[in-house]
Amino acid sequence: MLALIYFIILGVIAVGSALCVLLSRHPLYGALSLVVSMVSLAGIYGLLGSPFVGVVQIMVYAGAIMMLLTFVIMVLNGARDSKTPMFDKVSLFVFPAILLLAALLGFALISTPLAFNAETLRGSVALTSETLFNTNNKGPGYFLLFEVIGLLLLSAMIAAVLLAKKNLGSKETEEITEVH
Amino acid sequence: MMEIIQSKHWVEWLITICKFGFAFVPVIFILLLIPLERRGAGFIQDRQGPNRSYFKIPYFGRIRLFGWVQNACDGLKLFFKENYSPSGVNKFIFSIAPAIPFAIVLISPCVIPWFAPMVFTMGDEVIRISGQTVDTEVGILLLFGLSSLSAFGAVLAGWASKSKYSLLGGLRTSAMTISYEVCLGLSIMGILLLVGSFRIDEIIAWQEANVWGIVAQPVAFFCFLIAMIAETGRAPFDVAEGEPELVAGFHTEYGAMQFGLFYMGEYSHIGINSILVACLFLGGYSVPFVTTETIQSNIGISLAVLCGIFVVAILAFLHLLYRYARWYKKSAASNKQVILREYSLYKILGWAAVVVFAVAGVASALFFHPQFTVIDGQPVYGIGVALGTALIHILVLLVKAIFFCWIWIWVRWTLPRFRYDHVMNLGWKVILNIALVNLVLTALIAKLLGGI
Repeated sequence: MLALIYFIILGVIAVGSALCVLLSRHPLYGALSLVVSMVSLAGIYGLLGSPFVGVVQIMVYAGAIMMLLTFVIMVLNGARDSKTPMFDKVSLFVFPAILLLAALLGFALISTPLAFNAETLRGSVALTSETLFNTNNKGPGYFLLFEVIGLLLLSAMIAAVLLAKKNLGSKETEEITEVH
Repeated sequence: MMEIIQSKHWVEWLITICKFGFAFVPVIFILLLIPLERRGAGFIQDRQGPNRSYFKIPYFGRIRLFGWVQNACDGLKLFFKENYSPSGVNKFIFSIAPAIPFAIVLISPCVIPWFAPMVFTMGDEVIRISGQTVDTEVGILLLFGLSSLSAFGAVLAGWASKSKYSLLGGLRTSAMTISYEVCLGLSIMGILLLVGSFRIDEIIAWQEANVWGIVAQPVAFFCFLIAMIAETGRAPFDVAEGEPELVAGFHTEYGAMQFGLFYMGEYSHIGINSILVACLFLGGYSVPFVTTETIQSNIGISLAVLCGIFVVAILAFLHLLYRYARWYKKSAASNKQVILREYSLYKILGWAAVVVFAVAGVASALFFHPQFTVIDGQPVYGIGVALGTALIHILVLLVKAIFFCWIWIWVRWTLPRFRYDHVMNLGWKVILNIALVNLVLTALIAKLLGGI
């Protein structure tokens, strides 16, 4: 009962701030609404018996990634983008797609027997580590995937660094550094 | 609703509700830290520090409380100033930004264990109460997540102020937070690996059973301390405020209590971080060389020792007062009569406290012999013993935390400040790598020796 009340409060906040992301004119407001949405989603994960997933959501998404996003918005002065119209021709294709996806998701969620019970642990620390790293029971499937994702992220980072550094040695940037 | 109320004994409810009071510990730390910082700075720079404000009471005259009155005056001034904002600022974000760090400071203490889990008998029931307000298995991760959220306050303040200095300060804050979050997380991974849990109370129990974290992980301790100091954004890492470069950084445009909220947020952040360092590396609430069981079986003597420590501390304070008084009597200071009058109040209070604590200590040593019942092979005592143990634990934790608070102030007033690129170099190229090597070495040694 208590968990249901919390769920309703958090759900209203999450959906409301997600709508704000769509409707806000200024990119920074959008980013902030996204932070609020993510924090309330973390609360919902906690209610579903997955405190670990919820806290990682706060740490990684709301903390680190959104901080980077606000950093970029502030550096690039994204306020100039607020003149773009909210709806254009592309929206004609996007809206039906969103509605279709929502309908599919809703159907899938309703048809699965997902009992809402706050007591059962679904994503606790022990359970998560068991699923990911216990190679005895379930074979090395998730373990290998985890390692491969790590390699993928590392290669993405190296690529980003290379792309950012490509212009450093060129003539233009050298002139700029001399001016400074 | 009645089921929830009846699921716990009323004593359990009472203590659970009282535990919410711990949310205000960091706020109380502000009261301690501001005089400590000001008088400490004075001590390091060989001057008096602000201690001239006073209030008057009959007979004893001007009471200054060693500078505490000065802080009350400063606080009152901030409260009663007009909330001013320059034109052109983003009103909503400008006014909500200072509240973010302070609000998070009120949430953060919920995962810190203040005492060992209480187990006591009440009538026929055995009642167990954990030391944290929120008993969760992700304790320390939640703390880190919240502290990374609190940087949003500074970033948004910098952006909403519509001033170049503020914007630069905000940008630097976000860069600092991202870089030092990584070091912070990685440097404690070693001890988490040894303990095998994210729960702070289990980390403390491990340290109580084995060795303190500072002995097991000395490198991690220094990495963690540096990253912590950098994360609070104080000198020598004050690039976000940067008085020589950025006026006052992200809070340049703020005044009155909005500035006060940033100030209080910073100080209570120091309080939280000191408590966290004490929990992770100095054994938290555990008393050195004494286990909780020993304390509980000799609770009368333990409380007597506690009272004895209080008596010694107050006697040291009185010694200080008498020396000052002797010095003032000889000196040619024009206000020496006033000061001696003030000191006579402290002397009376000090001697009264000495008598009270001495009597209490002797009484508890002589008359406090707890009864216990054996449950599951463990002796379980009554509520008095549980509360007494909790009191000792809380005081031990606070003493350790206050020691780290002093380190914060010590570092701030002795080291010269870093330049921005030096801070980034230190974070990414030095501390991060040391923490990584430390983690790998710890994992190797733990695997080879302990077989964890």
